[in-house]
Amino acid sequence: MDQNSNKHEKIDNVFVRVGKTLWNWTRRMFMGASKDLANQDIFEVEKLESPSKLAVKAFFRRKIAVVALCVLIAMFLFVFVGPVIFPMDMNYTDPLQMNLAPVMSMRSVPRALRGNIRSINGFSNFTVGVSNDNNLYVWGATEDALTGVDMADFPAEITEGNVAYAAAGRDHIIAITTDGKIVGWGDKSLAQYGENKNTANPALVGMPKELIDGTIDVSKVDSLTCGLQVTALVIDGKLYMWGNGSACLNLADTLKKEYTGVQEVIFSNYYAVVLFKDGTIACEGGYFNFASASSSKGTKVSNFTSYLATKKVVNITATDNCFGFLLSDGEVLVQSASRYNEDKIPTIPAGEKVVNLVSGTRHFVALTDAGKAYAWGHNDYGQSKINGVECDAVYAGSYQTYLAEKNDDTGVSSPASYQNGVGYELEDSYGLRGYPFGTDNRGRDTLTRIIHGGKMTMTVGAVAVIVSSIIAIIIGCLSGYFGGWVDMLLMRITEIFSAIPFLPFAMMLSYVIRNYDISENMRIFIIMIILGVLSWTGLARMIRGQVLAEREKEFVTAAKSMGVKESKIAFKHILPNIISVILVSMALDFAGCLLTESSLSYLGFGVQQPRPTWGNMLNGANNSIVIQNYWWQWLFPSIFLAIATISINIIGDTIRDVLDPKSSQEK
Amino acid sequence: MGKYILKRLFYILVVFLLLSLMIYLIYNMLPVDKAAEQAKAEVSGSKGELNYDERYEFWQKQYGLDGNIFQRYLRWLGVYRYTPTKEGEKGYFNGLLQGNLGESRLFNKPVSEVLVEPMKNTIFLNIFATILALGITIPLGIFCAVKRGSKRDTAVQVGTIVGFSLPTFIIAIVFIWLFAVVLNLFPVSGMATAGSDSWTSWQKFWDKMYHLCLPLIVMTFTSLGGMTRYVRASMIEALSMDCIRTARAKGLREKVVIYSHAWRNALIPIVTLVIGWFLSIFSGSLMIENIFALNGIGKTYYDALQNNDNEIVLALQMFYIFISLAGNLIIDIVYGFVDPRVRVNK
Repeated sequence: MDQNSNKHEKIDNVFVRVGKTLWNWTRRMFMGASKDLANQDIFEVEKLESPSKLAVKAFFRRKIAVVALCVLIAMFLFVFVGPVIFPMDMNYTDPLQMNLAPVMSMRSVPRALRGNIRSINGFSNFTVGVSNDNNLYVWGATEDALTGVDMADFPAEITEGNVAYAAAGRDHIIAITTDGKIVGWGDKSLAQYGENKNTANPALVGMPKELIDGTIDVSKVDSLTCGLQVTALVIDGKLYMWGNGSACLNLADTLKKEYTGVQEVIFSNYYAVVLFKDGTIACEGGYFNFASASSSKGTKVSNFTSYLATKKVVNITATDNCFGFLLSDGEVLVQSASRYNEDKIPTIPAGEKVVNLVSGTRHFVALTDAGKAYAWGHNDYGQSKINGVECDAVYAGSYQTYLAEKNDDTGVSSPASYQNGVGYELEDSYGLRGYPFGTDNRGRDTLTRIIHGGKMTMTVGAVAVIVSSIIAIIIGCLSGYFGGWVDMLLMRITEIFSAIPFLPFAMMLSYVIRNYDISENMRIFIIMIILGVLSWTGLARMIRGQVLAEREKEFVTAAKSMGVKESKIAFKHILPNIISVILVSMALDFAGCLLTESSLSYLGFGVQQPRPTWGNMLNGANNSIVIQNYWWQWLFPSIFLAIATISINIIGDTIRDVLDPKSSQEK
Repeated sequence: MGKYILKRLFYILVVFLLLSLMIYLIYNMLPVDKAAEQAKAEVSGSKGELNYDERYEFWQKQYGLDGNIFQRYLRWLGVYRYTPTKEGEKGYFNGLLQGNLGESRLFNKPVSEVLVEPMKNTIFLNIFATILALGITIPLGIFCAVKRGSKRDTAVQVGTIVGFSLPTFIIAIVFIWLFAVVLNLFPVSGMATAGSDSWTSWQKFWDKMYHLCLPLIVMTFTSLGGMTRYVRASMIEALSMDCIRTARAKGLREKVVIYSHAWRNALIPIVTLVIGWFLSIFSGSLMIENIFALNGIGKTYYDALQNNDNEIVLALQMFYIFISLAGNLIIDIVYGFVDPRVRVNK
């Protein structure tokens, strides 16, 4: 019992001491050590302190080194804990989100719009909203980094309070003003709006002449929708469509039909579907002929067109790949092969009836008459994590969901149109906020890749350093201690290895193993070993020199005379005496290995894409377009790599200075 | 001295042979069989007239690929005869010693021919970079050592730690961004302006220099960090010697003390560094050449690796090793000249 409490006391003591020391270090770091020193009693007998303790103290007295240490620890945490928090799908690509500049405003509805929403519409990285007092707002990644076109620069026709309808495509916006003018802006090279200038491309359909020059009766507009690079406008049942036929394969066929009585047209990434006022639908090109669909009743509808023949469709909507249909009895149908669970329609509780259906790029949101919203589909950004949230209206951007409620309490209704004059107040938004460090050329988040790449770079560097240090310690100790022919042989081997030019040789080895069919993990492991095996020579020479000096000292003679085995003397008696030198060198080598790994990966001979490292993230950054326009793709990985290596070098240098008795004497 | 050099020469030769054997073994790990490729192409083109095994054997002999790995290695070196393809003939030597580096698959030319132009460019680039780097780092290092602890010294120290912590490609990208994109002073990459073929040679030369400006700046900058620190360290070491104190006590002028007494003593490690560095930039310029798309051996090596042009890879790998060993030899010899103690010991 007594012993136990004694033990506890001891442990407590240790904690108290560790805590005190840590506190002192932090305090000294920020407030300086002078106060501490002044308080000391100068007549006190000076305590004898071990050299290592002195060295640690000296280290923490240097502010730059302490800052570097903190930065390095933070970076370690960042790259080794970060991957747990931000998981990454390595093979993820998203052409819609390629080369986005750092942006965090993708779901920040402008303040002025929040209380008075009429419509919100988005196809890719920017979203347009029209307020009930006819003002237009655009938010998100509005500026194209390559062309510099900014969607937030409205053309002169758009003035305050004159926008009736607006819709957004991949790279264009179409708006209808209150006086009936149709205005487009953004990219027009593929006939997204205005006259078709590129007549050589047969797929392009220009905007109808009467829409470019004339005005329309705004009160008769039935709907305005935009697809990837196409637009459909329905005025009094008459359909107008224009844009890039490659983005909507049945554009020409649909136009040929000259439909009347149209309510709305909706676009997926490939096709257009027409909804008529009588509740029937049409899709030219035979796309729906044998298609099946999933129903919200939990069944699969095998022949979709004949199933719809007896039903009335009230609303249609589309993601990239799927079409969603809302029938008059509240049933929801999702057609087409889904890639992101778009067909897993959640069960709507009994008694609730879906009254509105909207969709983003990869998800659907349904609103029931009980005022509850349900979302399903792609949920990586949290845009579909809504299941029964109360609201009065739902809107969807590309990867965002916006829920709104009515200002007055008149219950749920279908979305406000230009005429009915009800504004909604934003209640909540879900989904993608943006990318703090932008995206790369495959639409992947740079921040996530920096975190995962850092983990890879650090791991490769660390393993390489450990491998090289182990080899160096063994060879250095043996050759230094034994001397004679062992020394001669080992030093010649060292010289051979040091004569190998590092970068070309590592590239060649990497090239050779590339020709073998081995798993990616194995390849990376081999690269670690290669880096280690090629970089041990310097350290081995240094250790040899140190051992040569140490073995002449008395304690070695003593050990020898006591009959300690030779190998034990070398590794157990001499090695601990030179361990500080080895540690410094390992720290500096670690920085070196980070650099060589990233150089190798940068050239494409290290870790391969899509697995990120800080080196291969910069692969392809040496052309002027990336350097100038997509600066975030090279700047952020470079900064992280630079900070890591600089802080390691500072720490290594400081430790060396601190351990070197000469340097402190001179000061 | 002569004995010492001979000894070193012999030793370097042994290392070269060992390394070449190692490289050749690694090269043989590549799953390529030239003879089989050639034979297959011939047999499939002959519509069944030729026998594959026979042709395979023929091409193996032609390429010197028959026999065991050591026979092949020795043939490649040029000290073992090729197997004669006809009866009664004596085989011939055709290897490195005879100047045969193989044939490039990509260019369909002997490797030695392919490498002439890139080699010129690389040597040109490296000599310029060396002159620039030495011209800056040595005075800067001496200055820092003399004014040790001053504000300017600290600034240079911070700058150099940044310089040598950053990999070449990041410095290159930043410099391209700054000088080529923002300031628009230099071209982003390449070695000649498009359509410069019809220019006079003088114009061509200046055009080339104009294109090489940015790579040279980057190479110089990357070398500044490590070299300045090294020069500074060895100069500090030299300045703390007793002879310097004596020189000062004698009342010599500070300039004489620094440049005549201290500098001589600091020179020994610096000589090693300079030669070693000059040789390492041959493989170091690999990176620069690739970033700036310069037609040097580094770029050729990289392209050969990308396009499975194995003969070029092998030849250039041997070149890199040769350069490195030659550098070691030169360092040893120069050491012998600069530091008399070395000669006496060996």
